Amino acid sequence: MSVINITDLEKIYRTEEVETVALNKISFEIKEGEFVAIMGPSGCGKSTLLNILGLLDDLDGGSFKFNDIEVSDFNERKRADMRKHNIGFVFQSFNLIDELTVFENVELPLIYTGIATAERKKMVDKVLDKIQIAHRRNHYPQQLSGGQQQRVAVARAVVNKPKLILADEPTGNLDSRNGNDVMQLLTDLNEQGTTIIMVTRSEHDSRYTHRVINMLDGQIVTQNIKV
Amino acid sequence: MFKNHVKIAFRNLFRNKSYAIINIIGLAIGIASTALIFLWVEDELTFNNYFSNKEQLFKIKDRQTYDGKTYVFDATPGPLAKSIKTDIPGIKYAARCTWGDQLLFSVKEKNIYSKGNYVDPDFLKMLHLDFLKGNANTAFSQLNSIVLTEKNATKFFGSIDVIGKSIKINNSESYIVSGVIKDLPENTSFNFEWLAPFKIFENKNSWLKEWGDNSIITYVETEPNANLADINKKIEKYITTKSEGSTVFLSLYSMNRWRLYDNFDEQGKEIDGSVKYVRLFSIIAWIILFIACINFMNLATASSEKRAKEVGVKKALGSDKKTLVVQFLSESLIMAFVAATLAIIITYAVLSPFNNLIQKHLSVAIFSPLHIVALLCITLLCGIISGSYPAFYLSSFNPVAILKGSKSNTNSGAGLIRKGLVIVQFSVSVILIICTIIIYKQIQHVKNRDIGYTKEGLLYTTLKGKLGKDFGSVKNNLLKIPEVKNACLNNSALLQSNSSSGDFEWPGKDASKSVLIGMEYVSPEYISTAGFNLKAGRDFYPDALADSTNIIINEALADLISKRDVVGTQIYRHDGGTKYTIVGVVKDFLYNSMYSKARPLMLFSDASKANYLTMRVNTNKNLKATLSKIETVIKTHNPDYYFIDEQFDKLFKTEALISTLAGVFASLAIFISCLGLFGLASYIAERRAKEISIRKVLGASVQLLTVLLTKDFLKLVIIACLIAFPLAGWFMYNWLQDYEYHIKLNAWIFVFAACLAISIAIVTVSFKAIKTAIANPIKSLRSE
Ligand SMILES: Nc1ncnc2c1ncn2[C@@H]1O[C@H](COP(=O)(O)OP(=O)(O)OP(=O)(O)O)[C@@H](O)[C@H]1O
Ligand SMILES: [Mg+2]
Repeated sequence: MSVINITDLEKIYRTEEVETVALNKISFEIKEGEFVAIMGPSGCGKSTLLNILGLLDDLDGGSFKFNDIEVSDFNERKRADMRKHNIGFVFQSFNLIDELTVFENVELPLIYTGIATAERKKMVDKVLDKIQIAHRRNHYPQQLSGGQQQRVAVARAVVNKPKLILADEPTGNLDSRNGNDVMQLLTDLNEQGTTIIMVTRSEHDSRYTHRVINMLDGQIVTQNIKV
Repeated sequence: MFKNHVKIAFRNLFRNKSYAIINIIGLAIGIASTALIFLWVEDELTFNNYFSNKEQLFKIKDRQTYDGKTYVFDATPGPLAKSIKTDIPGIKYAARCTWGDQLLFSVKEKNIYSKGNYVDPDFLKMLHLDFLKGNANTAFSQLNSIVLTEKNATKFFGSIDVIGKSIKINNSESYIVSGVIKDLPENTSFNFEWLAPFKIFENKNSWLKEWGDNSIITYVETEPNANLADINKKIEKYITTKSEGSTVFLSLYSMNRWRLYDNFDEQGKEIDGSVKYVRLFSIIAWIILFIACINFMNLATASSEKRAKEVGVKKALGSDKKTLVVQFLSESLIMAFVAATLAIIITYAVLSPFNNLIQKHLSVAIFSPLHIVALLCITLLCGIISGSYPAFYLSSFNPVAILKGSKSNTNSGAGLIRKGLVIVQFSVSVILIICTIIIYKQIQHVKNRDIGYTKEGLLYTTLKGKLGKDFGSVKNNLLKIPEVKNACLNNSALLQSNSSSGDFEWPGKDASKSVLIGMEYVSPEYISTAGFNLKAGRDFYPDALADSTNIIINEALADLISKRDVVGTQIYRHDGGTKYTIVGVVKDFLYNSMYSKARPLMLFSDASKANYLTMRVNTNKNLKATLSKIETVIKTHNPDYYFIDEQFDKLFKTEALISTLAGVFASLAIFISCLGLFGLASYIAERRAKEISIRKVLGASVQLLTVLLTKDFLKLVIIACLIAFPLAGWFMYNWLQDYEYHIKLNAWIFVFAACLAISIAIVTVSFKAIKTAIANPIKSLRSE
């Protein structure tokens, strides 16, 4: 079964002076359980692609099937609904909420999907244990190291048990040791069945994945499948 | 250096255009409101300042105590003025003056009603009236003379060269113009358009010779060095020396108190009159100004977090605290001056509607030194108040903390103060809303009160010429007009009763206690015309002579006389004279005060003292046609009609004005507060944009995010309501105690005010909140 299936996907940014074709008729398929890296030089459209795959942005042309459902014509509300039940995000700059504790940050997606308090607590505790940060559950993001913050961000992305995790340069702001911790976490998740798409510039990180999609100027250059 | 500050300040205002506009508009409205209020206050405080000898001018107050309650009047006996002038040293001038008379003046073809007073010659001298023609010494040397104001002379004759010209009065006698005086300014206690010798009035009213009849005003000017305590001591029991057994006490009442006090409690002690409104609105003016300043403080500290880096860097580079303070202060001062300029424009623009509202002719007079200094002070004050807190707050930032980016520590204190200030703003607004509603409801409550008869359709005109003598035939002719239902004569206009006495006795009455009883002299049709209900006994016989020793009393008096039937009981003055038999009891109707219960009243069937012709007409028909038919009967052009329902409404002039003003300033306070709230909401939305985006990515709905952004503000407004409730309640409870007939404080008024404030706040905040919530989250996440 394919989690994502896109054909001739287009995204064009129009500003007053220029028109940027950020994605130019891109097609590919991602199957359930895959771990895919998207690579390419700066400005080639990786983040744009990821945002569209994450239903955060709309597309200007082509078809986009998520779990075999055509979603290119979904409205804001339907997309939000699809998003909160199926997709987890990890960003390069962690994007934790400064005013909330570690526990509360991780709990947030569960609140939005409407899970009861007691159940929430159980689920959050479980993920925090798994990423070995439970002892810091009442700390604020500012009090954690970058690596710890990104692990919390990953925990927040997976607490809902989403089918798909989208990670935009998750190790970009981390040193290699912390980066490896995060990559290990993602690999573990993938082994437990979660599909992961990760934008990265690091050859080293791409080695954790099954497949690398190479992009250039809004187009796909190669999609090599590793063994 | 200074130039540099100004430059940076302007640059900052431009950079934060929307905040600057919010601040300036709020402050401009605040300053303009303050300016209007202070113009009004100035006018009130300088009342009668036109009279340079104001300190020496007095009117004589008469106080009488009945049943432990003291009543204070302006009415004094006719012989008083002349007598005290000779008897009491220190009194330079003393003059009698009538209450004010409306006369029909006929000059050639022109017939014009004009109001004025009959006064003694001393009156002209003590007020230093400015004679343009003639002079104060000779003006009243002839009996039938008259002094006109400049305006009036021009109205009648087209010029002021009118000495010796004759004017026909009320279609009967003629007065010769003996002087023209300059018009008095509006803010004096006098509004006469003509003055005529008191002698004319005296000759027609023999009762003016009585010491026991308190019926006219007496004005006094003392010698500049006179000992007031001495005069007061001599004057206090003066009447007792003339009229034995009198319980009337006199005292001097300074012109300084006429306008803003002239209110007395039941012990006869002076209490606040309209001065309380002058004080109240001065306070409101300052509060509105402060509310506007709060906007600047809040927005400045809020946006300062954006500027924290700038401050941190500057400090790291060695800029000291003082320079930073000066920079922020110059920003707020520049803003205050821009606002003041705008405020002047606003003030000019709204002055004429404001004048209409308060029934005055205030002018901005921007170049009067007092006004310039006042405006300057207010502007500086605003600039300094608004600027000082942000200045000291910002300049005390710890540069290390800021550059490290730990903003949560730096803003918690300021955040708290900001919340406090928003609470202050909304508390004030809610208090004003509650007061507006309660004052309005109180007025409506009294207006809708059953006053004992139907006001609508009742109108009266003052008796002139032979109208009173010929009443029999006039009435017959009036009743031939189908729209006229009935007509009668009476001595005080309905809604009032001007004569009263405490001399009456009846069998069984405690002789040591006197009861003040109102007296009305009426023609037999009085009760049926007004539509009063008889409770016992009968109405007057159509033949007035048959009832010459009979009276009809009201319920309030009947209750005092006996619990049982009082018809047949006799009432008489304690010094003997006629014994009057009660033949009827009329149900209570209100007169003089619409706020209290009806006071005891006697009706005499004696129209010889009548001053008014009262009619009941059918108002469903064309009123204008009816009136012109009436005019042909009473043979005057353009008579002075007074409709009771309109007169009734006029009784609430002060309260209605207070209610309108409270409403206006409540709206302004709310508006300025909301401007600030909008600015603050925009700022918060901006600051939380990233957080909102993250939440949105994690699945939060637009509604949820809007609530999230609105919630905090809502909390503040709710706290503000909780603070406002007891304050407004206490305040209004006390205000209502001034009125015997008043509404009860109702919880719904408070709930309504709270709902109003909350919904206005929600609309203001959610506008920005929704905009933030529906924005595409990628944008703000990217900008990190
Ligand atoms: N909101 C926008 N408006 C206009 N142009 C945009 C917008 N967002 C992205 N672009 C343009 O689209 C192109 C692709 O941008 P994108 O952010 O997807 O690149 P990227 O591959 O993620 O680069 P990087 O590796 O630097 O993150 C770029 O040329 C960029 O300038
Ligand atoms: Mg990118």
